[in-house]
Amino acid sequence: MKLYVYIIRRVLLLIPVIIGVTLITFYLSHLNIGLLVTEYEGKIHTYAQRVIVMKELHLNGPVWAQYLYYLGALFTGKWGFVSPGDIDPGVPVFTEFLKRFPPTAELALLATLLILVMGLPLGVLSAVRKDRATDHATRLGAMAAVSIPSFWLGLLVLNFMLAPTVSFLPHWLVLYGNGQLNWSVYGYWHGKIAPFVSPTGGLSQPTGFLLIDTLVYGDFPAFFNALWYVFWPSLVVALTTFGVIIRFMRSSMLENLGQDYVRTARSKGVPEQFVIKKHARRNALGSSTTVMGLIFASLLSGVVVTEIVFSRPGMGTWLYQAAYNNDMVSVMATTFVFTVVIVAANLIVDIMYSYLDPRVRLE
Amino acid sequence: MTTESVGSEFSRALKKRLESSKRSFYFLTRSPLATIGLAIVIFYVILAIIGPRLAGGNPSVMTAYPIYHGQPIIFNPIPPFEYAKFPLGTTIGGYSIYEGVLKGARVDLELASIIVFSGALIGTVLGSIAGYKGGALGEAIMRGTDIFLSLPYIVLAVAFLTVFGRYESVMIESLILIWWPTYTRIVRGQVLSVREQKYVEASVAAGSSSLRTVIKHIIPNSIYPIFVQISLDFGNVILTLASLFYLGFTFAGPGFAEWGNLLSRATSAGTGGAALESYPWAVTIPGLVILIFVLALNLFGDGLRDVLDPRMRR
Repeated sequence: MKLYVYIIRRVLLLIPVIIGVTLITFYLSHLNIGLLVTEYEGKIHTYAQRVIVMKELHLNGPVWAQYLYYLGALFTGKWGFVSPGDIDPGVPVFTEFLKRFPPTAELALLATLLILVMGLPLGVLSAVRKDRATDHATRLGAMAAVSIPSFWLGLLVLNFMLAPTVSFLPHWLVLYGNGQLNWSVYGYWHGKIAPFVSPTGGLSQPTGFLLIDTLVYGDFPAFFNALWYVFWPSLVVALTTFGVIIRFMRSSMLENLGQDYVRTARSKGVPEQFVIKKHARRNALGSSTTVMGLIFASLLSGVVVTEIVFSRPGMGTWLYQAAYNNDMVSVMATTFVFTVVIVAANLIVDIMYSYLDPRVRLE
Repeated sequence: MTTESVGSEFSRALKKRLESSKRSFYFLTRSPLATIGLAIVIFYVILAIIGPRLAGGNPSVMTAYPIYHGQPIIFNPIPPFEYAKFPLGTTIGGYSIYEGVLKGARVDLELASIIVFSGALIGTVLGSIAGYKGGALGEAIMRGTDIFLSLPYIVLAVAFLTVFGRYESVMIESLILIWWPTYTRIVRGQVLSVREQKYVEASVAAGSSSLRTVIKHIIPNSIYPIFVQISLDFGNVILTLASLFYLGFTFAGPGFAEWGNLLSRATSAGTGGAALESYPWAVTIPGLVILIFVLALNLFGDGLRDVLDPRMRR
């Protein structure tokens, strides 16, 4: 099977998943539509007005027609408006989503990177030193990291690394402000000069991604500030999720090290270093990438919790505030976005794997 | 064939498995980490059984002591080892941490077992159907697992709690909804491999019904991976429950004895940043209680997996 045929087949298989997910969000929204209509921004006072609103929202037709309208609006970006009780009331939900998505994407991508950078070498190390002290220490450490409640680790990191008052670090390293884009202001903190980014931003953001925008403006202090504020939460997320990939990489390496071709390579006199790096590791890496798709759901759950603990202005915090203010529209939007991201991540991982290991496509 | 004979068949098959598991238990005890994990898990289970009785009062609600020895302690928590009444100190609101930890053991273990065992049961049944019957129904079930595996669990739980209201049943159901698909996949995989075996073919040829085949051959063969998955999922469910309670998505009042809720007492009321500085015990003790239990479950589950996977035993 050619790669593009495989991709098309894989995308077609996604359709039932997308329909199922939208059915769930539609069902949850549908339960609350009565509430929405009765409270429709205080516009409903008489029966006639109610009839008009019902017609406007296509609530008179059968349920399947409502679902089709729902799908249509979902894919054209008409996601409703943020409820009056919530932060940013009256703003279109899609606009709010565009504002909230970049911080979360930065956090999740950096966490993924950290998981791969920390997890894969540790897995290889653990397999090569099987049943020795290094192996036991790595596995125990990884398991302990996975067992830590992410909100608790976030709290500790927040207090010891980011809060200026109790930090172990020299205070010029502890930057103030939560990485909002602005012209840099060099202010005083504890009597010494520290790079300082004002939380009341004034500049427009070309991409919304703070790490990119600061570089676009050439504002390096703000860039390092943003990096600093995304590094610690992503480290928390990575530590609380990367155990699975270590375990998988280890067993995958062990399996490959026991194969005949490795024995052949060793008997030919290939140095052990090359046997591990060129023969075993390359094969083990391919199958280990599939785990990224499996752990992405738990990674995003970690991202949500960590974002709330660190008060990052992303999707997780938005979900939290919306749930507190009973803003159903925003809650449904975040649920939908997170699900789509997980589905897309699985798709990308599958395609990457089929590219790395063409045998998968034969099935 | 009556259901009774199916039941006895099942118990006989299971008994044989459990007898052969004595050897597995021997291998498990040879791994020191897994043994420690098992010991800690047993300790927590005992804690969950006798804890609330030791603490006294309502088994799932902590008692608030706003004033102690004439001093208001709502916002001035007492450090550990200061008074015999509060061995681990108090937290914001005048709740005893010792009491919260003891009562929380039962609350957390109860909630987590309901969620994990219901998920395992539903997953096993659906997995056997999907694997054994196959066809359109099996395909539909497997697409269902795809859908539910791509929902981020905390987000779904929060959405459910917002839409259906903050109730205990809503929280439990939303988490069961997340935790069944893994078992369906495991059991289906086992069914597909076991179904091709000669002895299953022989029993089908001898007139065994599909229910009997599933119960006698397929479930006993996939019971070990299910055990491993349960021991690993238990920790994840506890972490998720604690996260939800910590973030305030609760169905109960501030005194509800849940470990995450106990931890959130220390950092709520706008004292988040100062909590670690001014009363570190209220943050560290509940966190460590959760950490040790989940770590023990993971150690045990990992040891179990190594023992049950013969490739790794060598």
